[in-house]
Amino acid sequence: MKVKFQPATKTGLIRLLFSLFFLILFTTANAQTVTGTVLDEEKNPVNGATVTVKGTNKATTTNAAGNFSIAAAGKDVLVISFVGFANLEVPLNGKTNLSVTLLRGETTMEEVVVTALGIKRASKKLGYSTTSVNSDELIKQRTINIGESLTGRVAGLNITPPAAGAGASNQIRLRGQVGFAGANNSPLLVVNGLPLDQGARGAEGGGQQRDRGDNLANINPDDIESITVLKGSTAAALYGSRAATGAIIITTKSGQKNQGIGVDFTSSYTTSHALNFMDEIVQTEYGQGQGGVKFTTAGQVQANGQWGWGAKLDGQPTINFDGQMRPYSAYPFQLFDFLQTGTNLTNTLGLSGGGANGSFRASISTTGAKGIVPSNEYKRRIFNVGINHNITSKLKLQLNINYADEDYINPPQIGTQGDGAVNFFNRMPISTPIEAYRNSAINAAGAEFKTNGFLGTVNNPYYALQKGQRYKEDRNRFLGTATLRYDLASWLYAQGRFNYDRGDNFAEWNTLNGTGAEVLVNNDGTYRGSYNLSQVTTTDINADFLIGSMHEFGKFSVDASVGGNTLRTEFRSPSQTATNFSGPDLYSIPNGTVKTQNFGFSRSRINSLYGLAEFGYNNMLYVNFTGRNDWFSVLNPDYNSKFYSSISGSFIFSELMKNVKWLQYGKLRTSWAEVGSIAGVGPYEGVLTYGYNQNPFNNQTLASVNGSNVPNPLLAPFKVTEKEIGLEMRMFKNRLMIDIAAFDKVTKDQIVDVVLSSASGYTGFKQNVASLKNSGIETLIEYKAVQGKNFKWTTSWNNAFLKTEVLDVGTPSGTRLLLYFNGTGNEFLGEIRYTEGLAMNQLYTRTYRRNAKGEIVVGNNGRLLESQGGPVGNGFFPVGSSIPKFTGGWNNTFSYKNFSLNVHFDYKFGGTVISSTLLNMTRQGHSKLSLVGRQDGLIFPAVYESTGLPNTTKITVAGNGLQTFYTDYRNLQIGDPFVFKSDFVKLRNISLAYDFYDLLKKSSFLKFVKGLSLSASCRNVAILYKDLPGLDPEAIQSSGDIRAGYENSSLPTTRNYNLTLNVKF
Amino acid sequence: MYMTKRFKLLLFISAGFLLASCDKDFVKVNTNPYAANTVDPALLLAGAQRSHLGTWAAEHTIVQQFVSPYNTGATLGFNFNEDIDGISTPKWDQSYAGLANGNLPPVKNLVQAINILGNSTTRVNLLSMLRIWKAQVFMGLVDTYGDVPYFDAGKGISDLIFYPKYDDDAAIYDNIYAELKAAINAMNPSGDFVAADLFYGTNGHSTTRTSNAANQVAKWKKLGYSLMLRLGMRYSKINTTKAQSIVAEAFAGGVMTANSDNAFIKYDGTLYTQLDNATLRNFSQFNYAAEPFVNQLKSTNDPRGRFIVANFSNPGNVSSQPNPDTVLANQFGVPIGVTDGQITATGSPYRGARSGGLNYSQINVWTVGSPAAPDMYVTYAQTSLLLAEAAKRGWIPGGDATAKTYYEAAITADIAAYTLYPGTAAVPGAEVTAYINHPSVLYNPTDALKLINTQYWIANIRNGSEAFANFRRSSFPTLNPNLFNNKLNGGFVRRMSYPDAEASANTANYQAASTAIGGDKLTSRVFWDN
Repeated sequence: MKVKFQPATKTGLIRLLFSLFFLILFTTANAQTVTGTVLDEEKNPVNGATVTVKGTNKATTTNAAGNFSIAAAGKDVLVISFVGFANLEVPLNGKTNLSVTLLRGETTMEEVVVTALGIKRASKKLGYSTTSVNSDELIKQRTINIGESLTGRVAGLNITPPAAGAGASNQIRLRGQVGFAGANNSPLLVVNGLPLDQGARGAEGGGQQRDRGDNLANINPDDIESITVLKGSTAAALYGSRAATGAIIITTKSGQKNQGIGVDFTSSYTTSHALNFMDEIVQTEYGQGQGGVKFTTAGQVQANGQWGWGAKLDGQPTINFDGQMRPYSAYPFQLFDFLQTGTNLTNTLGLSGGGANGSFRASISTTGAKGIVPSNEYKRRIFNVGINHNITSKLKLQLNINYADEDYINPPQIGTQGDGAVNFFNRMPISTPIEAYRNSAINAAGAEFKTNGFLGTVNNPYYALQKGQRYKEDRNRFLGTATLRYDLASWLYAQGRFNYDRGDNFAEWNTLNGTGAEVLVNNDGTYRGSYNLSQVTTTDINADFLIGSMHEFGKFSVDASVGGNTLRTEFRSPSQTATNFSGPDLYSIPNGTVKTQNFGFSRSRINSLYGLAEFGYNNMLYVNFTGRNDWFSVLNPDYNSKFYSSISGSFIFSELMKNVKWLQYGKLRTSWAEVGSIAGVGPYEGVLTYGYNQNPFNNQTLASVNGSNVPNPLLAPFKVTEKEIGLEMRMFKNRLMIDIAAFDKVTKDQIVDVVLSSASGYTGFKQNVASLKNSGIETLIEYKAVQGKNFKWTTSWNNAFLKTEVLDVGTPSGTRLLLYFNGTGNEFLGEIRYTEGLAMNQLYTRTYRRNAKGEIVVGNNGRLLESQGGPVGNGFFPVGSSIPKFTGGWNNTFSYKNFSLNVHFDYKFGGTVISSTLLNMTRQGHSKLSLVGRQDGLIFPAVYESTGLPNTTKITVAGNGLQTFYTDYRNLQIGDPFVFKSDFVKLRNISLAYDFYDLLKKSSFLKFVKGLSLSASCRNVAILYKDLPGLDPEAIQSSGDIRAGYENSSLPTTRNYNLTLNVKF
Repeated sequence: MYMTKRFKLLLFISAGFLLASCDKDFVKVNTNPYAANTVDPALLLAGAQRSHLGTWAAEHTIVQQFVSPYNTGATLGFNFNEDIDGISTPKWDQSYAGLANGNLPPVKNLVQAINILGNSTTRVNLLSMLRIWKAQVFMGLVDTYGDVPYFDAGKGISDLIFYPKYDDDAAIYDNIYAELKAAINAMNPSGDFVAADLFYGTNGHSTTRTSNAANQVAKWKKLGYSLMLRLGMRYSKINTTKAQSIVAEAFAGGVMTANSDNAFIKYDGTLYTQLDNATLRNFSQFNYAAEPFVNQLKSTNDPRGRFIVANFSNPGNVSSQPNPDTVLANQFGVPIGVTDGQITATGSPYRGARSGGLNYSQINVWTVGSPAAPDMYVTYAQTSLLLAEAAKRGWIPGGDATAKTYYEAAITADIAAYTLYPGTAAVPGAEVTAYINHPSVLYNPTDALKLINTQYWIANIRNGSEAFANFRRSSFPTLNPNLFNNKLNGGFVRRMSYPDAEASANTANYQAASTAIGGDKLTSRVFWDN
């Protein structure tokens, strides 16, 4: 067991940081209120410019009239900055009112970034990589979930929106995967200082297989003021264990001071259309049947209707499963006849205001979306309030409340056998028209009309639709943050914050009595089916304090803070299931005669102390230290403490090159950080408990040891160590900007589920055993190609190269099986493994067996043989990693007068995907591949294993010969024809917007309108390149990692058209 | 990194006093208020009593009682002499650790219960029951796989043995024998009564339950000695001396003497169901009675036949046909080693298709195949047949005459036990007599072993493990090898293969065991089968 216990790490921070404070023993002159106005060269007010008191952390922003008000002493210097303008330093010299004019175009280097714990920092001081996202652009290219709009926009942020219905979750990965698939690998979301996990409820195999969104969906895109992506562990080191995967900082709007009252209204309408690539794989020559012949009785069809090994299509009336005769013709792409156009209408109404002492914004938004699968809906109402209030000149209150109410109604079942429409239409022959399924969905008994021999795993979706199968999840989430900040002195402040995050989620669903069966009743006379309900209540409380100080003396500056945090979580989940109903078609708890109740409960705590200190020299050199200690309640008290630290530095070398005309800004940065994490360890897992059977067996209570894992009392947090180096330059009058980062991130002692011999009585054991590495290079290049008076063109390219490597899996063989897909009973091909020296998420399949000369060999019967031996010993060979190596996007913004046009391309390269859809369509006779040999028999191009002579055995469709041949691909797990690259290049988005504000200004009648813009966009415009046939390679079904490279019955992706109107009063 | 080291040192010096308070209450926070931290081991025994008995797709297919003739997908298995992990694995997983099939894994819970009891003298009867039932479970594992983890098994928590070594099958048998003997001897009629015992405790079936320790101990002793008899008979092929000695000892100790001694579990079919039978309903077009078994029932006009096989007008939808044709003359079993393609091909010599399936008989899902069917672990009928063979072989006194008595008593008892199945009625005595006197059933000294063991085959229609073991031991009934491909070299399946998961998780021990048994193959033999 690799558990290291280092007493030296069990330490706190507070004393160090107190001692840091003693370093800063300076006083400051009395402050007074300074007011002013900021104008541009045309004397228009500049809205949103940042005004800071130099050398302090006091800052404010200007309102729409360009006005600001700030507390400053007469000898202070104000620094005024705004994107697109040169920074201006104004010594007050005792003045309390001033008007300043900003000059356009010089520098944006004073860009302020919201970093960990909500601390705002000038970007130049940071020794690590962050990227801020332009929230205006995201709104123009809106999606229900803001995560989807981020796709391809930030180098190193890899987002995949699964095709999983309205309101679905996204796979979000920052700089690769910190842990093996199955761990929580999504970055931490921090909303107004409230940390929350992404919590993707994707269809990750088993169970309901319905995607029910993620926590990012709780945020209304229109409420977002800024998004900052803190890529590296350095940035996240202060957030502690939960941010081992990086962090995305989201700030919502809270109005601006002195702005008066304003109203903004946004209305947006989107339609979604399924993208059909099935003509690439579907055969349209042969119909339902076996052995090359059609079925002649309805009974035969019912028993074997899933096979497309019938006769050549002839248009003749032919028996269908329901006994009716219909023409034996091609009716391909029925899935797309089944699907509908998705729609989404979102309205947001915001009210904001600001006076001398504070500001607020309140908004309400409603979203009503229909998915492309009939009966799938998503409804959302979000209520958001942000308040800033200066109680006194020294005491500030900030309050943010976000309340989201979401309804997930019938999210489609995807990636699974059973009720999903995709599974049904992909696995049924093309010779039966969709009307047959629609008109004969229900049999005489009222149960599902049997369409094929796989009834139960291949079910007619019209049955569920017509009989009203339902799944509903009502999610309510309250996120509240209250922050009090007290300025003890101009250089010292104390802040306390309380975050309250409560989720109340109610879900109910039923399985219809006649689904997947021809009868409604069980043997005991009760009605089949089930009714389930569950209520999940989660409460996360985060309370923290922060004491911060900063001071400058001469050319030196010091900025230090110390803080602490406690996170308390509680989870409660009563659930009930009823089956064996007394009466038909009533799905309720009382109607069930067999009931199962459960109550899930857990609670946990993490307590933390942390601190940071930054030292600056001459605005040119900055060094930053952080340290944090976490204590985890879920671990054994002997191993529950973890200390981690970071150091980073930045060097603004352009300060030394002021005479170099072409260089406006140049910064070199480097950092080292470590973060600990206990991702993957749940409450109570280290404790042995017993459980009683739900219901007495023959009146007798039964008991068992709980769980299939052996509790491990020796678990310790695992560690992520990251090194980063970066270069940022702005050149040629700021027209060209480049930002390059290289990182190397090593995860050690990852906690993984070690598979035990089941003969031990247990199947798993959590242990600190695995190590892995993510390294990469991220580049961002932005070029203002044209900067005319009317026409402007800005083009930017972001790219990330990611290399993942498994260093240690903790097994003697150097390989660890995560999942044998075919063993799940729901999936069909391959394995996912971690093998030392290979990339992570490695997919394995067997291949054709080859002889010493490399020729494919077959048996004497002409049938395929599977590879043997190999690196794992079972004939499986690595075929590639599901993680793409290159991800990026090319973004172009054109503006001409009041028009702006955005054209966004993105791409991913280097990932691998196994198509189980194609495998099943081939063995069932529906794919083009299954046509080979249909007419004249197949002599597979190979040599006999026994003799080495060319294969001459012809396999014909008669007697199911060909069907058996193609079935061998699955039975022997030969993956050769079904492994593809998941590469793509997409024209992701085009949006065109027109700003009517200039027109409005000309009309005195419409003066009360402060802004009006209209934008239209198209998302998923075109796939310019892909390798995977039949599908958009992004049509994976899960936002997790385990099935990221495994495609099975995926819902198609959609092309979306959107129209958005924004008005401000 | 130098800086961080210095940093840590500073912190270490300064932060000591804070530590105590930063994880205060964490032990309490991390205790689940809704889980039991202790348990009555009697309830663990009850949970473990429903141990794995074999399945239709595995053992019943090997001994040609059942077949799935579809070779085009997931159902491919022993009918095609294929070594499919999903078919070989359930017995292993559900015995050692798995929660599948609604059963609580016996090895894990029995071992833990024995650990909890420790050297308890007040609950010696419970301890003996745990030991006897553990012996039963491991006999089944050895019979199915050969060498298996035994001495180190189930000790994941107690001894942190995560990758147990495999023990020699003969050595395990020796220890099982010793365990049975010791456990039986330790029982105390005036000791503890175990009410939770599912077989003979307070909630046992009305025909077998007891209400005091003396009666319960008597039943468990019979169960223990009947298991010892079964164990002794297993040596018949390799060591008759040993077989005779153990059989005689068991017989002298006192084995089961009536159906009221049977160790079985009754299911209600609603809340708790005999889950292997659910597979007969779902995808019923795949599931058929096998020709050799149907022919045996038909040719002897077996009164049990109507409870076991049935002709459904639509084999693809058996669950909507509550009154199938059970007339024996109308029953036809699917031939062994034939694919559905061959059966339905034009000009096929077979019976072809019928409605949504094949034109053949299936297991009667309203009786033997019902989810409310019982699981018969150890029965008087089995025991009496073993005694018949022992008498015939002269290992217990009485010779052919006694053998005949045991033989007929066994048949009578087995037929009588069918009243435990739903949808059955007591078979009239005259019909039983007629059956016993049928020329192909009537005891005769020449064919005694064949007759006795053919009856054992029929009597174990719902105990696949025992049917499979006894077929290998006795070579009866006379079945023809399935020659579908050449993978078994013209023989029968002699054991099931270890789970693939063992090969990857417990590699070294798995490999050692594979070598020891002559390869992890279907054709390797368990020690008593050589």
